[in-house]
Amino acid sequence: MLIEFQNPLNSSALAFPILECIHIVGFALSIGTIAIVDFRLLDFGMRHQTPAQLNKDMSLWTIVGLAIMVLSGMMLYSSDPDMYYLNWAFLLKMTFLVLAIVFNYTVHRGVVLSGASPGRTKLVACVSLALWMCVVFGGIFIGFLNPTLDINKV
Amino acid sequence: MLLSFAQFIQNTPFFIALRGSGYVYPIILSLHMVAIAFFGAMILMTDMRLLGLAMRSYPVSDLIDQLRVPKRVGFTLIATCGVLMACAKAEEYYWNDWFRLKMVLLILVGLHALIFRSRVYNRAAELDRAATLPAGAKLAGVVSLLLWISIACAGRGIGYIEPPLEKIHAKLFAAPAPASVMAASVVPAAVVSVGLLPPAMK
Repeated sequence: MLIEFQNPLNSSALAFPILECIHIVGFALSIGTIAIVDFRLLDFGMRHQTPAQLNKDMSLWTIVGLAIMVLSGMMLYSSDPDMYYLNWAFLLKMTFLVLAIVFNYTVHRGVVLSGASPGRTKLVACVSLALWMCVVFGGIFIGFLNPTLDINKV
Repeated sequence: MLLSFAQFIQNTPFFIALRGSGYVYPIILSLHMVAIAFFGAMILMTDMRLLGLAMRSYPVSDLIDQLRVPKRVGFTLIATCGVLMACAKAEEYYWNDWFRLKMVLLILVGLHALIFRSRVYNRAAELDRAATLPAGAKLAGVVSLLLWISIACAGRGIGYIEPPLEKIHAKLFAAPAPASVMAASVVPAAVVSVGLLPPAMK
């Protein structure tokens, strides 16, 4: 049985673009603060601070950014769930998002807090940046995919 | 004059090729957004430090001086991608009100730099010694924050305006442009607007 429910987001043409702007500011803050730590691991910028110090002072803003990004993202998703669910760029994006977040709070965190050999440190920073880059690419390509996955084949 | 320049630039072979390739535009747009993601927070954190909202245990100069070079690198990357996208569809962008607003806001960013660079950003060491941050520094931070967030939003708005095909044609035929420019512009403009716009932007 289908439940009739009108998503209030879809009743205004402005809701989606405004949420997109909030989403952009959210990921600029979350990915950006993580990137500042990654660039520090690569010896690019903020060299008066240690990576651990930077991580400690940025972590709250990373969480704030992540919350804004994920919440606005879920609202964007709710505007047309079937389309997103069947869009392979979206599925890839979600995969990379989970990988990026898990990587950030496990391997990345370990290297930032306890240090590692220079080679491993730089590798971890590059992997972190690459994962977030894939997330952003996935987001852009959602809109460029048409037609999306065939619902009859899923 | 701007319009004929837009027509000229989008019809150079390089930008015709860029426009004609289905995947190049979304890849450049993605790189534009990746650079915003990687470098945007440098602006946000510096501004919030100037406002006393974030990173308060750091001297102001630590953020301003140490992020200066990375911010320039980031801006160069973001702007390069932006210029490539704008030039590939220059005539369409010319008519786009969000794009126009974005350009005005970028000019205001330049003004912000002219006004505040010597007063705030090049005097970071003085700000470190001050007991409380002067009003000028806070003003610089809040104006920069508002400008850059507005620029990001205006950028997102660009994709929501449908290319004014009729307008482009009307102006094309009415404009006293040389015949060669007109002949060269009509076809690509139609191709860009109809064929290569991503579904999200239609």
